[in-house]
Amino acid sequence: MRSIWAVATNTIRQALRMKVAFIFTILLLVLLPVMAFSMPGDGTVKGRLQTFVSYGLSLTSLLLCLLTIVVSVYSLTNDIKQKQIFTVLTKPVHRFQLLLGKLLGVILLDVLLLVLFSAIIYTITIYTPKLLNAGEEELVSLDNEFFTARASLTPPKIDVTQEVLETYNKLKENGQLLPGSSKEDDIYILTLRKELEKRAVPVGRELLWQFQNVKPLDPNQSLFIRFKYDVSVSPPDLNVYGRWVVGDDRQIRYGTEMKTPVYTFDRKDFIRTFHEIEVPADAVAEDNYLAVGFFNPPLNNTVVIFPTEGGLEVLYKADSFTVNFIKAVLLILLRLIFLACLGILAASFLSFPVAILFCLMIFLTATISGFVLESFDALSKGLSGLYSYTVRPVVLLLPQFDKFNPTKFLVPARLLSWPLLAKVAGLMVCVKAVVLLLLALLIFTYREMAKIII
Amino acid sequence: MEYAVETFSLTKIFPDWWGREKVCAVDDLNLQVRYNEVFGLLGPNGSGKTTTIKLLLNLLYPTNGKALVLGGDSTEPQISARIGFMPEESYLYRYLNARETLDFYGRLFGLPTKVRKMRIEALLDMVGLKAVANRPVGTFSKGMARRIGLAQALINDPDLLILDEPTTGLDPIGTRQIKDLILELAKRGKTVLLCSHLLADVEDVCDRIAILYGGRIQSEGRVRELLQQTHKTQITAGPLSKNAVEKIKQIVEHEDSDCVVTSPMDKLETFFIKTVASAREQAQPTSGVVSDGTYISDFLTAEHAEKSRRAEILDKLVSTSISPQTPPETPATEKPTPVETYEQEPDEQLLEELTQKPEPPKPKPVVKPQPVESEVARQKQNKKSILDELMDPSAPQNQPTDQADKSPTGGDSNA
Repeated sequence: MRSIWAVATNTIRQALRMKVAFIFTILLLVLLPVMAFSMPGDGTVKGRLQTFVSYGLSLTSLLLCLLTIVVSVYSLTNDIKQKQIFTVLTKPVHRFQLLLGKLLGVILLDVLLLVLFSAIIYTITIYTPKLLNAGEEELVSLDNEFFTARASLTPPKIDVTQEVLETYNKLKENGQLLPGSSKEDDIYILTLRKELEKRAVPVGRELLWQFQNVKPLDPNQSLFIRFKYDVSVSPPDLNVYGRWVVGDDRQIRYGTEMKTPVYTFDRKDFIRTFHEIEVPADAVAEDNYLAVGFFNPPLNNTVVIFPTEGGLEVLYKADSFTVNFIKAVLLILLRLIFLACLGILAASFLSFPVAILFCLMIFLTATISGFVLESFDALSKGLSGLYSYTVRPVVLLLPQFDKFNPTKFLVPARLLSWPLLAKVAGLMVCVKAVVLLLLALLIFTYREMAKIII
Repeated sequence: MEYAVETFSLTKIFPDWWGREKVCAVDDLNLQVRYNEVFGLLGPNGSGKTTTIKLLLNLLYPTNGKALVLGGDSTEPQISARIGFMPEESYLYRYLNARETLDFYGRLFGLPTKVRKMRIEALLDMVGLKAVANRPVGTFSKGMARRIGLAQALINDPDLLILDEPTTGLDPIGTRQIKDLILELAKRGKTVLLCSHLLADVEDVCDRIAILYGGRIQSEGRVRELLQQTHKTQITAGPLSKNAVEKIKQIVEHEDSDCVVTSPMDKLETFFIKTVASAREQAQPTSGVVSDGTYISDFLTAEHAEKSRRAEILDKLVSTSISPQTPPETPATEKPTPVETYEQEPDEQLLEELTQKPEPPKPKPVVKPQPVESEVARQKQNKKSILDELMDPSAPQNQPTDQADKSPTGGDSNA
């Protein structure tokens, strides 16, 4: 352990004295405050904060990722190239201790810098409203929609397979199927149609969503219904009327005594943009049940559709902004730990430039992993067997940085839950990073340090 | 556990990129280095010396055969904790300063802080780098880096010291110091394995040598035995009159043998050291404003001031018990005289140390330069204690030290 620690401190010293870390630090120290005051966002204080947090954290994350790759690769490959490793490995130091020491050093450096920069971002974010003299109304909206961590509940996806099959069989019996189209295509189209039906509200009809497990932090606070309208025919003024009912609908239905209030809102909202209805949190029933109903009044003269992505969500404050911010930073740290392991692996068998290239390639692929996975899936439809047993496992071994992007949580003030964080930690660090590290240990243990290749 | 280093048919073949056997660097090598001896591995460039050492230290894996170091595998921590290794060049972290470098290596051994600090200071003292201990190693000259390389090899008070080309890059004075040090360590019971192609170095310090060529041992044995010309006799005497020489010639002729009479020559090394030392002495009166101003000369000056404490420091580094009293102050600090004298005092001493060696022309077969030993011993009589603080208290290796202390030496009076 003592030798691991000795190697770790030496690695940190190396990063600091070779000025690699220094350059990144200066860059961030200059860029962060500049960003804070040069990006107005959409003009509101909230917009400004959202832009700053989003760009600030993304930039910090990006630069620290690059730094981690550079330092972890450089530290080891340089030791091997400059042969300091000869004097280190001939001391009572196991090879795995050397690797772990390097890794620990890089991670400690990351923690140090991450704490520094996130503290800067946090402080600027907290003090910006005061500096800008935000009005009373704006402060309330900030508290509700930015300086909070809201859990989000989306309506569960309704399984329509059975219904689709029935419809398909019926159409087939009646001979109403399009000639020449395959069964898969028909089923696909029917499924889309059915799913749309479930999310569409014709004039004069209503749609009810039921949510379990709604657990607001404080019943005296508000919860929010966040929604977006789509329409079959655009109304002339692009506005849609709607009556919203939020509460425990079972009380009305079964005529029991009213224990919790039911709130009704009549609204007129612009289509295809997000809106939020603030509802007092006491609408939630004791067993954490909440129903949300939408009635499409005849005034509209159009079918109202709630799109799949963000069509309807129930948001409520589940944690504080600070805790959420810390979790978001932890998410970045997990990413850095993975990259440190990757760098060590690359350095254990590649020379500096090749290792850097290798790591950057993986880093970029991981950053756009959603796109990569999708394209691979699409491209390799014909050779499914070959693909799913060769390329796909490798691609899946990559972490998905884009899927767990911290700004995706902080900007809409969404709760980053501990279970999610634990899941990312487990998958990205405990499984993937450890696999990389073990591979690195294996290669490094059997590598001849003084090998001459002729 | 008869041998400190033993190899059994050690073979190393380097393949090329395609895996075809290309170079046979070490070929069926059976090497035995006994405990407490200075063993020299000689050979021309590319004869497999360094490869052998890398195999011993597991920096390379043997293609065939086996190597035992201190009776085991050198990767085992308890074995490698007893080995000191100085590679053929000083591979140091350029961004660390001298003290941090030694601290880093000390921590790899898990030395307790107190011991580490003490040893670091003593080692910096010994290699003469105390004055520049806070400068990054990257700015050091090759010779200075070499000294740090040596210091790091000694940080753990090793039982086995493996030195790869220990004197490359060092000036003659540094070379002499390293050689003295090797002899001194050997006297304290350490085993030294060194490889070199500088024959003079090997000849001066080694008990036994092996000459490698093509990865095989071509010749092996005690230096004395290998080099002794048994059919010749050398007589060394003070200045003789022509008459006396004639008489001797007659006696020799009477014995049916030939005889050549010449005055013995100094070795160039001796001459160099003498010259530098006297030049330095002449520079003393102006030492307030050092005229040449080059760094190296500062370095040398600083270093020779330390020289008088060499044995004392060595005592500190290598043994622990002999005399627990605090080291006596150096003559330099005792004198409340101005700077000039401060520098002069050790300088004279250095001169003395350096010059006395060659005075009695060395008889050919004598391997270890006697005056060196006697010199160190003389110093130790004054200050043997520091070195003792560091060494294994129970080790019997202190005995030779004692003996050396007591042995009357004629070297002193020469200068």
